[in-house]
Amino acid sequence: MAALRRIGCLLVPRFAAAAAVRAEPALASRPLAVLDDARPARMVIEASPEARALGVAPGMTEAAAQARPGGVICRERVPAHEAAAQQALLEVGVVHSPRVEEAGPGEVYLDVAGLGALFGDEPALARRLVQRARDARLPTRVGLAGSRVAARLAARRAAELACIPPDADALHLRPAPIALLDLSLEMARRFARWGIRTLGELADLPGRDLYERLGPEGARLQALARGEDPRPLDPWRPPPRFEETRELDWALDNLEPLFGLFTECAEGLCARLAAQALAADRFEWSCRLTARPGETPRTVDGAFVPPVPTHEARAVMAVLRATLTAEPPPAAVTALTLRAQPVRVPASQEPLDGDRRPSPRTLAETVARVIALVGPDNLGVPVLLDTHRPGALRLEALQVPSSPLPSPPGGRGTETFPSLPAAGEGGTLALRRCRPPRPAQVRLIGGRPVHLRAAGLAGPIVASAGPWRSSGDWWLESRWASDEWDVELADGTLGRLAHDGSAWVLEGIYD
Amino acid sequence: MAIATESLPPPGWGLEGSAASLLEVFPRGQLSEIVGPRSAGGSSLVTSLLARATAAGELVALVDGSDAFDPAGAAAAGAALRSLLWVRAGRRPDRACRSAELLARSSGFAWVVLDLSTDPTEPYERRLSSLGAATWIRLQRAVRDMPTRLVLHAPRHLAGSAAALVLAVARGPARWMGAPRPLRLEGLGSRVEVVRARTFPPTSQPSPRAKEWEITWRL
Repeated sequence: MAALRRIGCLLVPRFAAAAAVRAEPALASRPLAVLDDARPARMVIEASPEARALGVAPGMTEAAAQARPGGVICRERVPAHEAAAQQALLEVGVVHSPRVEEAGPGEVYLDVAGLGALFGDEPALARRLVQRARDARLPTRVGLAGSRVAARLAARRAAELACIPPDADALHLRPAPIALLDLSLEMARRFARWGIRTLGELADLPGRDLYERLGPEGARLQALARGEDPRPLDPWRPPPRFEETRELDWALDNLEPLFGLFTECAEGLCARLAAQALAADRFEWSCRLTARPGETPRTVDGAFVPPVPTHEARAVMAVLRATLTAEPPPAAVTALTLRAQPVRVPASQEPLDGDRRPSPRTLAETVARVIALVGPDNLGVPVLLDTHRPGALRLEALQVPSSPLPSPPGGRGTETFPSLPAAGEGGTLALRRCRPPRPAQVRLIGGRPVHLRAAGLAGPIVASAGPWRSSGDWWLESRWASDEWDVELADGTLGRLAHDGSAWVLEGIYD
Repeated sequence: MAIATESLPPPGWGLEGSAASLLEVFPRGQLSEIVGPRSAGGSSLVTSLLARATAAGELVALVDGSDAFDPAGAAAAGAALRSLLWVRAGRRPDRACRSAELLARSSGFAWVVLDLSTDPTEPYERRLSSLGAATWIRLQRAVRDMPTRLVLHAPRHLAGSAAALVLAVARGPARWMGAPRPLRLEGLGSRVEVVRARTFPPTSQPSPRAKEWEITWRL
């Protein structure tokens, strides 16, 4: 006889708000709205029951939420607080069951079969789970049932805890809405077209016809609707700690021996990562500095993100060397630490049509060597910022796709010859930016620029158009405004000038 | 007889075909060169290459020797910036060349573009002159037998015989909207000429007429 399957669901309703209250207990029982971090118009993403009672709802702007009477408190979402709350919820599960699955933010499943001898009957276990979660400052609902879907349903509908008896999952699931199955948009639309709204209606459909229309996914969804959940839990394990530390008997004030010790740490870390088929997508280093007697030792630290997850000690050291050479520790070092944030890099099939996909290892090493040449701040993928300020951007690490890159139009066989683009074909005119913008002297007649003098560029202006006025961040200290002009010099040079109210600058040259 | 409608080309097919042809001009495993004075359209041609290559899903590295690249303009031209590695070499042509050599040797990038075009500050021009012929030979050898296209953008012909393809970009007339008083800069005309094409197969040599063509860059 198959062993009886029993699943527990720990569910934290309104998880982001619960995480905020956990980090700041004074917010408990207060009307709280959690905001996203999109500036300037931040939106409410979650509201506590007290705030909902005042009319605050997700999707409102921060200003609209604060305009509600009753003193709504707004807090920005903090991913670190949510990660800590999630970790606490997982730990509540782990101390009760060896098999725990992380299903999403504020949602954890655990295998509770056979725990009766340890914690008593199921209601007693559920009460204990609720109490432990409350001790971790997480208002959690607990549901126990024979499948994940039923346990989640029980937790959603419970005030605090609910247990569905064995073999009663299907009965309890029948009236539940079909949205409980986390359907894809396409599948939800299809069921809506068919008029299927509850799990009972889905369970009653002829299985063969459903399979013919939806394939294996249809059969899986119907099994879930009937309370059948054969998939085993995907066990969560506490993240391993990848850290190497060297405590020194004497202080080091020279970079080369320091690099030697960091190399030892990097090789040790990378060997451990490789042994577990892992790589690291972030490395953190720190150096403890010497201090005078009676003073607390100071620490300098930093972090870097390799362009691709790596366990190559050489690539790690290339970046670390460049970083420490550019900015050496300000005093002798008495201890050093190197940490790695592990990630699992899935194995992938090599492409059959050649080597179009870069080798992550070679690429990581190459990029590390280029970083050593130009510095870590001068290399990356440009990301445009959400502003109209000219030239606003930041650099991010290159993420190489794990799947093969698609072939260009025409494929490999078309590269034999050189057909030229059609006459008259066009594109977008590019601007070569001056970084920083060059100070310029501009003579005006009738409010229009007629002569330009800047570093390496001078002459009469034969045509101009403008001013194109732009401004932004007027609500911040860093507000900006400028009038831009497109100009053509007598020698044919096309440039862009800008005037910020006090001085002229050359922003760039059209080329 | 019914016409199989699926066999008809989708809208815009012809445009895509001509865009792809521009990419095919540059040979794989060779050093190519785009040369031209400022405001001639060389950077627009480079941006167009970046846009078309990244849109085709290829990984591109841009080594920016004069820190003049405008990502916003490239995005407006259709470049997928997430597939573009931008290396800012800080107006050090020697570092830029070394970086391009490393990237070309890695075979990880479908395109490596080395932009040494000058800006209005003149000391940079003197540094360019200090780069010896060995630099270009090294670059050419770095990319040889690799699936990478290495493109050098410079104010004048620098790479000598190491370049398999040299495109000279000449300045055409600027286009202004509104007369007699200009209201808006509309764009720029460029004339591009193939002045050296070592790797073109003899059977498919472009006709003399096709070796020179006009491009209009629009703002």
